[in-house]
Amino acid sequence: MKKLNFVFLMVMCITASAQDHAMHDMEGHSHEGHLHDTMVDGKLLVVNPERFDNFVSTLEGKQVAIISVSGMVCDFCARGIEKTFAKDKTVLKLDVDLSGGKVLIAYSQDKNINFEEIQKKILSNGQNATDIQVIKI
Amino acid sequence: MMESNSMQDLIYYHYSPSYKYSVGIQQIKDKYFNSHYSYLRLTYLLNRRNTQNSQRNLYLQSGLSSNGLDHYFYGSHGDWETRRLYAGFGYKKTMMNSLDYVEQYLQVGVAPYIGEYGDLHTWLMLKSKKNDLTSNWDTYPVLKFFKGNALVELGYSETSNWDIHLMYRF
Repeated sequence: MKKLNFVFLMVMCITASAQDHAMHDMEGHSHEGHLHDTMVDGKLLVVNPERFDNFVSTLEGKQVAIISVSGMVCDFCARGIEKTFAKDKTVLKLDVDLSGGKVLIAYSQDKNINFEEIQKKILSNGQNATDIQVIKI
Repeated sequence: MMESNSMQDLIYYHYSPSYKYSVGIQQIKDKYFNSHYSYLRLTYLLNRRNTQNSQRNLYLQSGLSSNGLDHYFYGSHGDWETRRLYAGFGYKKTMMNSLDYVEQYLQVGVAPYIGEYGDLHTWLMLKSKKNDLTSNWDTYPVLKFFKGNALVELGYSETSNWDIHLMYRF
């Protein structure tokens, strides 16, 4: 009987989760036309869709560098990244996505984004920047 | 950084010119020997391995006491962590005049939920430590919280009472 109850509970959980996802789509979160669906250099942006769309919502006419960072597993340790980039006057906005291992950095359109410079800044905090994608908003 | 346990209370101010090392002053109220002294302390990151989902660190540490050249410590500590799991260890040998002793610990932890950047992060941990002066291994639960630049770690054991660790990053 206990086993049956457990199976029933599991089925309910999975159904609820699936329903939740369906509701999410029905609530109008169509992925069509969202910037997170954009291809950059032949690669789809690998970002948290909601987080990314929220980040770029006020950045029309700007460009965003999406940096993949390895070793960024702890909020307390990633604080230094925010502090390092805060000293750079050309950075308009920054977000750290711990789950995705990404740092999003907004610059003005005329900024020449230099990945090596970014890598050095990330390394000065002890993490490694492994990839960059730049998207114009 | 502040630490308090049954053996000592300490305040540690340190500066990291690079992620590879830090230098600082550690002020100690030694409850076991009933004395006060300071250490000039150096911590060096010997090895770090970053992956997409984990980070592993191995540090060397040493300190020279204000009591003189025959009072110093050296050791190492290391950790491995993902966003869900943590494991760490530490080994420290202190030379104090004619006496020397070793302190060592092992610590494991699990995050009950995965917080996003800026959230309150929580770790449930188990720490086991041994000090030559008190002989036995002492194992006890530790709760660790951090949010923003502040970190609090609270442990309690029946034998050694509170083990408290506070840290703030400027």
